[in-house]
Amino acid sequence: MTDSKLNYGEKLLYMEGIVVEIDDCSIAVDLKGRLGYFKAPKRMFISDTEPKVGQVFGWNMSFPEQLSDEVNEKYITNIKKHGCKKD
Amino acid sequence: MSITAETAKEHAKDPAVLCCRAEEGIVIEAANLEDPAIFDDLVDSGLLNLDGALTIEQVLGAKLTKTCDSLSPLTADVVEGFKAATEEVVEEVAETEEVTEVVAAPVVAGTTAGGVLKIHIGEGKDIDLEIPVGGLGGAVAAAPGGAVALPVAGTTEAPVAAQEEKVVRTLTRKHFNITEVKRGPETKLEGTVLYIREGIEEEVIATSDLVKDFAIEIITPDIYHTYSETVMDVQPIATKEGESELGSGVTRMLDNVVMMLTGTDEGGVQIGEFGSSEGYLDENIMWNRPGCPDKGDIFIKGNIVVQEHTNMERRGPMAAHTAFDHVTQEIREVLKKADESLVVEIEEIEQIRRPGKKKVVIVKEIMGQGAMHDNYILPVEPVGVLGSKANVDLGNVPVCVSPLEVLDGAIHAITCIGPASKEMSRHYFREPLVLEALKDPEVDLCGVIFVGSPQINAEKFYVSRRVGHTVEMLDAEGAFVTTEGFGNNHIDFASHIEQIGMRGIPVVGMSFCAVQGALVVGNKHMKYMVDNNKSESGIENEILACNTLCHEDAIRALAMLKTAMAGEEVKAAEKKWNPNVKTTNVELTDEATGTKMELVDNEQALPMSQKRKEKYD
Repeated sequence: MTDSKLNYGEKLLYMEGIVVEIDDCSIAVDLKGRLGYFKAPKRMFISDTEPKVGQVFGWNMSFPEQLSDEVNEKYITNIKKHGCKKD
Repeated sequence: MSITAETAKEHAKDPAVLCCRAEEGIVIEAANLEDPAIFDDLVDSGLLNLDGALTIEQVLGAKLTKTCDSLSPLTADVVEGFKAATEEVVEEVAETEEVTEVVAAPVVAGTTAGGVLKIHIGEGKDIDLEIPVGGLGGAVAAAPGGAVALPVAGTTEAPVAAQEEKVVRTLTRKHFNITEVKRGPETKLEGTVLYIREGIEEEVIATSDLVKDFAIEIITPDIYHTYSETVMDVQPIATKEGESELGSGVTRMLDNVVMMLTGTDEGGVQIGEFGSSEGYLDENIMWNRPGCPDKGDIFIKGNIVVQEHTNMERRGPMAAHTAFDHVTQEIREVLKKADESLVVEIEEIEQIRRPGKKKVVIVKEIMGQGAMHDNYILPVEPVGVLGSKANVDLGNVPVCVSPLEVLDGAIHAITCIGPASKEMSRHYFREPLVLEALKDPEVDLCGVIFVGSPQINAEKFYVSRRVGHTVEMLDAEGAFVTTEGFGNNHIDFASHIEQIGMRGIPVVGMSFCAVQGALVVGNKHMKYMVDNNKSESGIENEILACNTLCHEDAIRALAMLKTAMAGEEVKAAEKKWNPNVKTTNVELTDEATGTKMELVDNEQALPMSQKRKEKYD
């Protein structure tokens, strides 16, 4: 099970972020407090009305934890192949 | 939080726990009790110990003999005048076990009264059947069900058995065998060799300003270990013969070959939303899933490059699908003219209505949130583009189609949700639930309803209310609701089930859930659920179609719906995902039907990619 791989998976933090970008299939959010940025598929956002740039979303999240120190060469190949995955 | 008398009744057999501090001497009523729904969490975290707790039905009306704090379980030493525990007559059992149990139930008596025949079936539980006498034609003595899986249904049906099955329409599939695909000066079919015209790439690029590059690759089984961009769709090659319309008449189709669409934008970003399945084909495809290539198939793989950034706009993926269809259409034209002597197999699929049997409907929720969450519905050609309407443009409202239209390529899937749970175009062409329900002699499949999943909640509830009314109008006695992927579509998935369930119609829900796709919402009508998960860890493992609906899921869902329609109890699922529930249900179904269900492989059967090895298993 995925859970058992995490040491701090139970530590849920309430987070807020501002919608900074919306396209036909994704929403991008700037985390409040200069904590970064993420972009995820629209279907992972729950909204009562049409999502718009400037709105605030809230969610619970935990800390990403390193699962192992190994580097997956296949991912390196994929990343190099597509070079500028700038988004 | 205290509960209402209604909730107390629903949870009569659950432990009684005080919701807040209660003084000595009070008479216990529902308002003093905590909602049992939260107990699992409290017990897990050690805050609550239910050992020796009386049940809710035992304590209601009894007197508390000691002042207790909130969240104290009510045990015999603090309650006076509680009722004795009633023995549960019916022990909860998993879905099909009850079915076998009822096989022995004899028809006890049949009497006519007031124009209604009432049949009472005993043995531990009461089942009352009411059948209008008019429909009996004098044959009052209802025969007990034969050696069928659902004798209760069988009993009600016996008097109307005279109503014959009706073949509404037939779809004939003419299969053409393909052993080789080559490039040549013209697109043609020579024996079992398919030639694709060289230079067709230019025309594909010319179909849209958004298409910047296109290349065809023929992937034969010996080179399955080839790197590929993310797979956007797998499509059958099929065409309508003569004047035949989609869903009836004759369809000509090529065997052992599929169309496979892959793509990126000019910047090299995958057209595949997020979490794409790029990599070596043989490590990323779950062979023989309804939506996947079968092992041994030849892929005509078209890789499309769309204008930079349009991969995230509706027009990008739409242009890619439309452009790729240019190649398929040219093959279709050739197939239309192919010599009849090349037909290797003629398959007849009948749409059978079974009056008198339980009328069921399949509701398939499809994605409708936007660009990569869209589908072309009802094209002129099987899985074509021309003539179709995108469900997003239709407002995601329910669209009713015949089962044969589904199996004839009514859906051209543009969705590119997580690869493992995506239903590709080929999935609908071989939809297992539709196929199983059509051939099941105990149900009357009246049709299939496609409904899109919009982005915003207000629209989700708008469409699910339409689903509820549609199913009501059909007078369906049972329904399946299926969905692909996970995320906010589970909100409307739950709402569809609620809308149908509140009309008193049993509903079986089917979705990938397991660990990662755990439902975000639930309601009291979501009692009958079938999980499409096949992955070992219960996650989106990026293996194409690994967690999609397969025949084994369809059989379990049918068994569950029949059990529910017969008024039997289906045991509630455990709080956390437990793959053993499925195993037990499979065993029970096997036992009841006397057959052995073949279970499909999961990702463990594929060559282990380094990515999966490290990431998931």
